[in-house]
Amino acid sequence: MATVTTAHEASQPTTRRPPRKLLYRVLFYLSVLAFMAIILVPIYYIFLTAFMPGSRLFSTPLNYFPEGLNLDRFRIVFTSLPLGRYLLNTLFLATVSTIIALVVSFLGAYGIARIRFPGANLVLVGLLLSSALPGVATVIPLFQMYQTLHLMNTLQGLLLLYVSALLPVTVWVLVSFIRQVPSEIEDAAKVDGAGFLQLLWRIVLPLVSPAIATLGVINFIVSWNEFFTPLIFARGPNSKVISMALTEAQVVGSSTQFYQNWGNMSAVAILATVPVFLVTLIFQRQIVEGITSGAVK
Amino acid sequence: MLGYALVAPVVLWRLATSIYPFIYTAYLSFFENSPIGQVHEFIGFDNYVRMARDPDVHDTIGFTIFFTLTSVGLQIVLGLGIAELLTRPFRGRSLARAVNLLPWAIAPIVIGTAATWIFNQDYGLINDIIWRITGARPLWLIHPTSARFAVTITDAWKNTAFLAVIFIAGLQGISRELYEAARIDGASAIATFRYITLPLMMPLIISIGIFAAVYRVTSFEIVYALTQGGPGTATALMSYLVYLNGFRVLDFGYAAALSMGLCLMVLIVGLVGFALLRRSWTRST
Repeated sequence: MATVTTAHEASQPTTRRPPRKLLYRVLFYLSVLAFMAIILVPIYYIFLTAFMPGSRLFSTPLNYFPEGLNLDRFRIVFTSLPLGRYLLNTLFLATVSTIIALVVSFLGAYGIARIRFPGANLVLVGLLLSSALPGVATVIPLFQMYQTLHLMNTLQGLLLLYVSALLPVTVWVLVSFIRQVPSEIEDAAKVDGAGFLQLLWRIVLPLVSPAIATLGVINFIVSWNEFFTPLIFARGPNSKVISMALTEAQVVGSSTQFYQNWGNMSAVAILATVPVFLVTLIFQRQIVEGITSGAVK
Repeated sequence: MLGYALVAPVVLWRLATSIYPFIYTAYLSFFENSPIGQVHEFIGFDNYVRMARDPDVHDTIGFTIFFTLTSVGLQIVLGLGIAELLTRPFRGRSLARAVNLLPWAIAPIVIGTAATWIFNQDYGLINDIIWRITGARPLWLIHPTSARFAVTITDAWKNTAFLAVIFIAGLQGISRELYEAARIDGASAIATFRYITLPLMMPLIISIGIFAAVYRVTSFEIVYALTQGGPGTATALMSYLVYLNGFRVLDFGYAAALSMGLCLMVLIVGLVGFALLRRSWTRST
């Protein structure tokens, strides 16, 4: 038992009397409870705004007890806005950008990590520096380019930028991951006469699959949550994403009450959020690994 | 040859969509340029002179400093607190760790939009709680100072989770034996934190702090959704000014100069952070 004593139990060994320990436990659980409440109560409130009639929720004081839950707000936003198309666009962009970024980054990262060519480190540093560039520092020339190339309001135009945003971190994480894998297995495969693509597909890919899974989940969420890029480059239902419906939902339906606008926006907020919540809860372990692999080494 | 072939897609992709547009932005910042009437005229440093005199820019720099320091400070303190809580064994810990990830997963634009009614004077969640305790209903988004806090609190709510996850990993990396030794020496919980946890975590705190600061300086969505930079320009951030001047006023040249100003701010944060990091390295060795 002694070796698993935790830090707070370990404190103050001379004064470890039961009342003090009890007080400590109470304070500890109160802190945990406060932490959970600060995160969950606002999320719960957004759900109530979407599902509960505003006239019942927005009394003074607020009525947090769910009553008369219904889908009216969802019906209104779905009938007045092309939300099905928005959701499909969002899903398409998030999925396809994740896959393309992984393929392109995997090839690049293998080249940098295994084939030592002059300029490899320059590429890594360049990627890092360019990833620090704020989005607004590139957006005006891109806007002009997109108008000339007729990429405005197209999914392929957005896809180019979504992938671009994912590349630097994806390459960095994959390079450091490939460098940790011993190259003897690849050498053995080369001796056995495996072709290069075969080597990548059969030997290297399985070895880095944990990193691929982690980056896949994180990149999907990052792309799903993109807003600035579509705000500038998506102009219609062909390419708009779900989060752009937040402001559009404010003015649809015969909303005469402020809380009807809030209800509409909450409904869209839930449509935009529930998919990423599900992904987050299912792939919790990969997300934690992904967040920490970039930071703690 | 193979090496170049493998990195070519990544390099070309980033050149076309990031590096070339950035260089072109720098070039545009010396021009009067607008899609209205197809204006494109070289004006030297005029955009920069205008920027230096622009009261909106002064407001923005002031708010950026406040926002970055306050939000990153909050995130570090709260993130360490959450990490301390969630590294201790207790029933429901894995649930609490899952809950911690939720704000990280929500899009900033969704949080910014929801915050518009969460901070509402009469029916907002925040004022409902304050009213139940104190009987007062403060106005959040009307006054400059409280609007600044509203943006900062919203941002910290979303982003603390990210730091907490990293700090949890950092705390788990500290050797148990050190805590054991401190316990035998009779060190208090506060002394243990002050003399063991904090110094060992410091390089991580600083490097993540820099990362978080760069993101604060360049952030856009929460201000765009929650305050539109208001009241006046009290809560405008540089990205938002670039958006306004570029895509509402359509003054591309001035917006380009503003975004170069933003890059300079990022560079300053990066250099200050790097200096801090070097100091913490030399201290810890």
